[in-house]
Amino acid sequence: MPRYGLDRELRLIQDETLILGSMVEQAMLNSIDALRRRDAIAAQEVIADDHRINDKRYAIENRILILFATHAPLAHDMRVLAATLEVTTEIERIGDYAKGIAKVAVKLADDETPIPMREIQTMADIAVSMLHRALGAFVSEDLVSAHALPAEDDKVDELYNLIYKRIIQTMVNNPSGIEHSNQVLWVIHNLERTADRVTNICERIVYMVTGELMELESSEEDATE
Amino acid sequence: MKKRVDWRLLSPFLYSFGLLIALGLIGVPLIQKYWVGPRLAQGIQPDFRACGWAIVGIALLSPVVGTFISVHLLRGHLTHLRLLTEASRKLGEGDFENVKIENSVNTLPEVETLGVTLAKTAEQLESHFDVLSKERAMLSAVLSQMTDGVVIADNEGHVQLLNHTAERLFKISNSKAQGKSIVEVLRHHALIELWEVSQTTKPQTITIEIGTDHRFLQVVGIALGEALPGRTMLLLQDLTQTHRLETVRRDFISNISHELRTPLAGLKAISETLLDGALDEPEVAKKFVIRMDSEVENLTQMVNELLELSRIEAGRSNFEFRLIAPCQLVRDPVERIMLQAERVGLTLELNCAEDLPMVMADPNRIAQVFINLLHNAIKFTPTGGHISVNVRATDRDVIFKVQDNGVGIMPKDLSRIFERFYKADRARSGGGTGLGLSICKHMVEAHGGRIWAESEEGMGSSFFFTIPIKNR
Repeated sequence: MPRYGLDRELRLIQDETLILGSMVEQAMLNSIDALRRRDAIAAQEVIADDHRINDKRYAIENRILILFATHAPLAHDMRVLAATLEVTTEIERIGDYAKGIAKVAVKLADDETPIPMREIQTMADIAVSMLHRALGAFVSEDLVSAHALPAEDDKVDELYNLIYKRIIQTMVNNPSGIEHSNQVLWVIHNLERTADRVTNICERIVYMVTGELMELESSEEDATE
Repeated sequence: MKKRVDWRLLSPFLYSFGLLIALGLIGVPLIQKYWVGPRLAQGIQPDFRACGWAIVGIALLSPVVGTFISVHLLRGHLTHLRLLTEASRKLGEGDFENVKIENSVNTLPEVETLGVTLAKTAEQLESHFDVLSKERAMLSAVLSQMTDGVVIADNEGHVQLLNHTAERLFKISNSKAQGKSIVEVLRHHALIELWEVSQTTKPQTITIEIGTDHRFLQVVGIALGEALPGRTMLLLQDLTQTHRLETVRRDFISNISHELRTPLAGLKAISETLLDGALDEPEVAKKFVIRMDSEVENLTQMVNELLELSRIEAGRSNFEFRLIAPCQLVRDPVERIMLQAERVGLTLELNCAEDLPMVMADPNRIAQVFINLLHNAIKFTPTGGHISVNVRATDRDVIFKVQDNGVGIMPKDLSRIFERFYKADRARSGGGTGLGLSICKHMVEAHGGRIWAESEEGMGSSFFFTIPIKNR
């Protein structure tokens, strides 16, 4: 097949990756929304739609493998495809986090106990915006953004620690609410992991453009480890 | 077109040939007369060889001179042609201002015709161009001033155009977006699906919330069809504001229904008990009717307050402002509440200096504000507590302060207590409607003042409001 065919295929795969990303972004925002509104039906929808995300990811993977087989891509093209395989995996995992949050939303739908929703919403907004911009940097091969984005993880970690301490305090003061507090911990954990996955995506962008695989550290230590 | 031999191409030869003949016709007699003739007359044999050389020289020179003359004439025509070329180049660039086509008299007829035609073409082009650019300006003004976003893409999925609103919505400039894939620009699967579907079907509409700035959009996908084959347009209407107002309205209705339901349920329970036999025992029945009366009182108060609030919010409430001393505003409501406070074992104290500057105020409305604040203070202060009202002036405002040493307000509630139906402590506020402070806020603001609260949990609360001094 001529070069034109390969270029076209590569572009289509990138478009598909962006679509996958947007599905996951939406799933994440919807799950947080369902949590805030105590809306079990909306949360169930997020859970049910997760298979569409998985299907899309498999479709992209398939397409890449076929391209490997038919074009035997070299150098930069090969790195783009290898990185895309990795990036779609990361996106799909973030989709799983969204599903996890939706499951919590279902459990807490009938519980009137307050949730620190404002902080959680901010965490989610930052994490989703990071994902959005990382994928933008991925298709435009924007190294500057790829290096800058992991630093924003700090804000997410900061919020994580803040909510974490508050919830532990609530657990100590009110042991009967431990089940509820534990669910909220699960939500913020998922959001914190989402931001970490974005850092992984940024590492793949650097690899794709330069061929070097390096760890991009945010300035602070990881909040959970 | 018939191909003709243009004899003018032979002009250099004709010039040289003519020159040669002219020289022959003039030269030979001259030689004869001034060179050969005199020599023959003196008996000298003339040297015909020199004569021969002269003829050869002339013959050789004449084509050179002829060519020179012809080129000189040609240069005139060429200059004119070059001017025309320049003019047509400017036409091509659309630079109508600087197109100058002069018709020199001394030129070839073909070149002259070309000049005239070009001048006409320039005129026509300019007028066409004018019409087009005016239309274009109008279209682009409409596009850029539209509050709806417009995105146009071709059937390959390449973005062709984004208007200003769409640029803002998707945070990318039109020039950057052009030629990029629509996926890369819009970055939302639902929008891409809409674009794909509307290429082949009737216009489709979806409503979605996008991005972390939570924009609420209604999007219509329209294939542009015959006008622009293969192109599809997405029309995006930003409904974020409307959506937000809708949410506020819905919350309000759900609040008010909830507030109405409670006293109504009480009434229903009492009336059922009465019907079930309590009526036959006059003592019990009387007690129930008294409770019914107080529930109805509550309901009436709430409805009245709601009406008042909606009147104030609509700006239709009538205020009767007059110039008045601040102490006069306070004294009456404090006296009215005094008895009530003493009955529940609270002390109420008023501190007001008589020399405070005058303010413009409606005494009845301000009395209402005080009564509301004092009622709250009484409700949230345990027996034995103390309530004080203080009035002082700054250089711009008079500040009124109602202070108690009651239960106080939690910090998280402090910023919300002036919202409609907000109740910090539902158990304690019991009979209240949750509208009182909201009404106070509106009334104070109608006077051009501010209202706020400070509090420490367990230590009591202070409510402040200001009225601007009617100056000088």
